Amino acid sequence: MTAEIETLPEDGGSLRRQMRKARWRAFGVFLKRLVAHRSFLIGAIILVLFSAVALFADLLAPYAPNRNNYRFILMPPSAEFWFGTDGYGRDILSRVIYGTRVSLFIGVTVVLFTGILGTLLGTLASYVSWLDALIMRGLDGLMAFPGVLLAIALASALGPSEITVIIALTVTFTPRTARVVRAGVLVVKGMQYVEAAQAVGAGHARIIFRYILANALSPLIVQLTFVFAVSIIAEAILSFLGVGPPPPAPSLGNIIADGRTYIQEAWWIAVFPGLAIAFAVLGLNLMGDGLRDIIDPRQRNHR
Amino acid sequence: MHHRVTALIRLIAVSGVATVAAMAPAGAALAQQMGGELIVVQGSNPPSLDAMNTSSGASRNINMNVYETLYGFNENVEPIPILAEGVDISEDGLTYVFTLRQGVKFHNGDEMMASDVKASMERYRKVGATGTLLEPVANIEVTGDYEVTFTMKAPTPTFLEAFSSPRAPAVIIPEEDGAAEPGKTSLVGTGPYKITEYVPDSHVTIEKFADYSQDMDHEGMDGFGGKKTAYLDTVTFRIIPEPGAQVAALEAGEVHILEAIPAPAARRLEGNADIEIQENLQWAFGTLILNVNEAPTDNVKFREAVQVALNMEEIVGIAAEGVFELNHGWTYPNSIYNVGDIGANYYNQGDVERAKALLAEAGYNGEEFSILTDNSIPFHGRSAVVIAEQLKAAGINAVINQVDWPTALNLRMQDTGWNGWTLTMGIEPYLGPAAIVSTLTGARPHFVKNDPVLDGLYQELIAGATPEARKETFAKIQEQLYTYFGIIKLGDTGQLQATRSNVKGFKTFRFPRVYDVWLEN
Repeated sequence: MTAEIETLPEDGGSLRRQMRKARWRAFGVFLKRLVAHRSFLIGAIILVLFSAVALFADLLAPYAPNRNNYRFILMPPSAEFWFGTDGYGRDILSRVIYGTRVSLFIGVTVVLFTGILGTLLGTLASYVSWLDALIMRGLDGLMAFPGVLLAIALASALGPSEITVIIALTVTFTPRTARVVRAGVLVVKGMQYVEAAQAVGAGHARIIFRYILANALSPLIVQLTFVFAVSIIAEAILSFLGVGPPPPAPSLGNIIADGRTYIQEAWWIAVFPGLAIAFAVLGLNLMGDGLRDIIDPRQRNHR
Repeated sequence: MHHRVTALIRLIAVSGVATVAAMAPAGAALAQQMGGELIVVQGSNPPSLDAMNTSSGASRNINMNVYETLYGFNENVEPIPILAEGVDISEDGLTYVFTLRQGVKFHNGDEMMASDVKASMERYRKVGATGTLLEPVANIEVTGDYEVTFTMKAPTPTFLEAFSSPRAPAVIIPEEDGAAEPGKTSLVGTGPYKITEYVPDSHVTIEKFADYSQDMDHEGMDGFGGKKTAYLDTVTFRIIPEPGAQVAALEAGEVHILEAIPAPAARRLEGNADIEIQENLQWAFGTLILNVNEAPTDNVKFREAVQVALNMEEIVGIAAEGVFELNHGWTYPNSIYNVGDIGANYYNQGDVERAKALLAEAGYNGEEFSILTDNSIPFHGRSAVVIAEQLKAAGINAVINQVDWPTALNLRMQDTGWNGWTLTMGIEPYLGPAAIVSTLTGARPHFVKNDPVLDGLYQELIAGATPEARKETFAKIQEQLYTYFGIIKLGDTGQLQATRSNVKGFKTFRFPRVYDVWLEN
């Protein structure tokens, strides 16, 4: 950092200011493009709504999500219970509201861990050439298993809990993320500005973070929106199969699992959490599509 | 004592009576039809088709159509001879001479002889899941081609009853299988059907045994015995774990009998002419077993707090989907051993304040109360959820450890790592007080560590010479159960079964009997 400042010409201060301004302007253009992109906008609105429901669950839910009530078993949707009640007399609306919190927490955590691990492994593999084969063959081994199957196996081995689901999904999705990062880094590594940075004697850390990752990460962001969406589905699958958060936790998969016995007598138990999942995943996919269009102009869909 | 028959039970009882009344005149005109393939659905795999070494209901469902015992229970739970002609018991109660029926064929074509019976009993001693029931027998001797003599160590008035138990039945198998390891027999029995195929997670197929020797001393079937007739060519027990899928298969006509149907589905199908719902009330006791070897449930004051904190009506009402009766007693209300109000003042209290006072007395400090349960038997998982919520309200840090049924059976055999375990006891209350208490005493009581008082009372119970004497002892046992709080009675649960209307002759019982059942075209 300091070296760069010392080599700047005398009016360096104003040049830096101009650069910062230019960067902000580019960001403004990017934002404008995002907002102008219809599917991104719709997706973003859905995700904001979903997150708001999850964050303010305590205020929004009309009842405690785990409160049993023998007198109100399997009640159809009504003014009192908008989404009906389940076999324990619990309010489905309240359970779905709290269920979005579980889904969101697991989704965000998995995205975070997958992003960090994937970036680390992908960058190491492409930047340190002798590690490439080692890391990538290991990840290929993991990818040989179908994604959800691997998660089920891991979750069964670790025992049912929220942490288990996070670990299982992180392990499952990291290889794909690492591949995306590795591919991006390989392209950027050969660019002239990276060579220039090496020529002026920049350190590895500086080259990686400042020059390579900054330019290679956009596909990762798109990838992570899909990881987010798939995590929400996978969490529901694992919960449905009984390896997610143990009962009575109101995870969306648990609610659907509770409802499958009564699918013909009390459709509302399984349908509403199912709709919540579909809604969230639709939002994330629309956002992901939008981001990809904007970040990667070559694949842009004109609409 | 609190009783509560739900509207559903009343409704079904009424419609059941109506159905029987409507069927009576038609029934006389109906002729039994031979042939056909019947499909029975159950939720879980039989752990073994070697009838002796399993007490699992999933196995019993199939095995009791395939194997037979010397003595077994009739419709009124009284011992009757099945493969035996009868038994002569000496005055001193020390010698039992069993005379065998002649000409009874095994599925492999050989005739059943006294040597087969001796070999079967010796094997039962070694690998029988309840091998201890032969504990009072000192010696088993072949005293004729069709005669076997048991010599007892001491007079045991309850022996014949225990010996007739279908829990892990003391079935008669060919002498050649006498030395077979558990699960390694040729699966040959003497029953009206023989096993032809077992594909785990899919099905078990049994086929009519053409040379079956009917017991002509009876008019028709009677409980586990009597004159049994195989009308069907084959019966397939299909394993479908998911209740919703079971109901769908029944509605589609792909299967004929559901061993158990969820109450809401039964309610929905009430008006369906193709399907008949049958109620099997007094099916099981819902219980919560506490591990007296693990903190905090090692403290009797804590266990008492759990007992008084629980609202049984909510627990059993939700867990049994409304098909239940409240009952604090450790017998069914109509049993001759019913000892009345003992313990009623602890039952169905839902008393949070009393529980909190007891917790303070116990010095409870927020330690985890881990409830072991499974999702394979719906009552278990559902009751655990409601219990946990109620205990949390009383300030107990209750958490649920839900696994699958085989894992639960495994974990509960460990002395630590769990505090509560939800269990429905079906066969034990059917067999009577001794069968229940035997699970709470002996080498490995359900609540892990022995209670010397209860152990002593159990010995007194099985040595009781008359029913009156045994009832007197049982009153002390119920008193002790409500002093020790190692096991908590939740309530009595019923079971609903469903059949296609073209299934005739089917009567609910401890297992789905497929003899004397036929299919109408």
